[in-house]
Amino acid sequence: MLLIGFYSQAQFKSATLQASGLTCSLCSKSILKSIEKIPFVQSVKADIQTSGFEIDFQENQVVDFDQIKKAVEDAGFSVARLDVQAIMNETAIQPDAHIEMGGVVLHFMNVKKQQLQGATKLRIIDKNFLPTKEHKKMSQYTKMTCFQTGVMESCCTTTASNSNNSKRVYHVTL
Amino acid sequence: MQGFLFAQLKIGDQALPISLPSNEGGMISLDHFSGKWVLVDFWASWCGPCRKSNRAIKPVYEKYKSKGFEILGVSVDDVKNDWLNAIKKDAITWKQVIDPGGWESPIAIRWGVEQLPTSYLLDEKGKVIAVDPSVEQIEKLLKKKKN
Repeated sequence: MLLIGFYSQAQFKSATLQASGLTCSLCSKSILKSIEKIPFVQSVKADIQTSGFEIDFQENQVVDFDQIKKAVEDAGFSVARLDVQAIMNETAIQPDAHIEMGGVVLHFMNVKKQQLQGATKLRIIDKNFLPTKEHKKMSQYTKMTCFQTGVMESCCTTTASNSNNSKRVYHVTL
Repeated sequence: MQGFLFAQLKIGDQALPISLPSNEGGMISLDHFSGKWVLVDFWASWCGPCRKSNRAIKPVYEKYKSKGFEILGVSVDDVKNDWLNAIKKDAITWKQVIDPGGWESPIAIRWGVEQLPTSYLLDEKGKVIAVDPSVEQIEKLLKKKKN
């Protein structure tokens, strides 16, 4: 009972997206239109100051970051950076370990063991959420193959409940 | 896929009316240019490719402005000062109007603008003769026009 309450309180509020491509991502309406269609997205706005996009999520909805990536790719661009704003509730994290929050399995990398409280920015570091070079650089922070495949593998050590192989796991850093 | 209320203008279409505030004060309408060829150029100060094209079109404008060619820049900037600074920085000498709102700018919606820059070359009767023409294409058309 305690666990259920705990998980439902932690949730994802919003995200900031940087997209890259051959042309200026802000100069086309295509990314905005593509992201607007995602069911769990409340709103999306272009931010001229940062040349990025501000995405607000609907409340109490499971957020699927792969859908954001797909929307950006469908619009003819790629994700250069995705920072997610999460509301933490005494969430204990440690380097190279999994937790489950808001219905999503997160694998924290290059972090100190700590407890997270309140609004916290997480950067998604999975393949195709950042430039390939940067993804390679992050590989030093884990030996687990899930960083390459993006899904739970038999090698994965986890504290998340009902873990099973082939479940999507998002790799994040602070 | 997605239905648009306002489709983008095509070659042969009649231009839609424009009447908007100018950078020099007062209003400018598209009617002011009738009898001349006019390039209606949608842009914004934050759009890099638009700024590049401002600089690229300049020599052609200087060369043909006395021969019945005009440009009407239509900015969708939200911040008026960003627009005015960009005009100054790019040393734009052609007519400029603004309709703030980015993609939600009423003029951008009416003209079906989905990316920046978007431009339309209109003949003396306000009919579209080219959509997103390159500087080279514009010059070619203007050369032909003289004959």
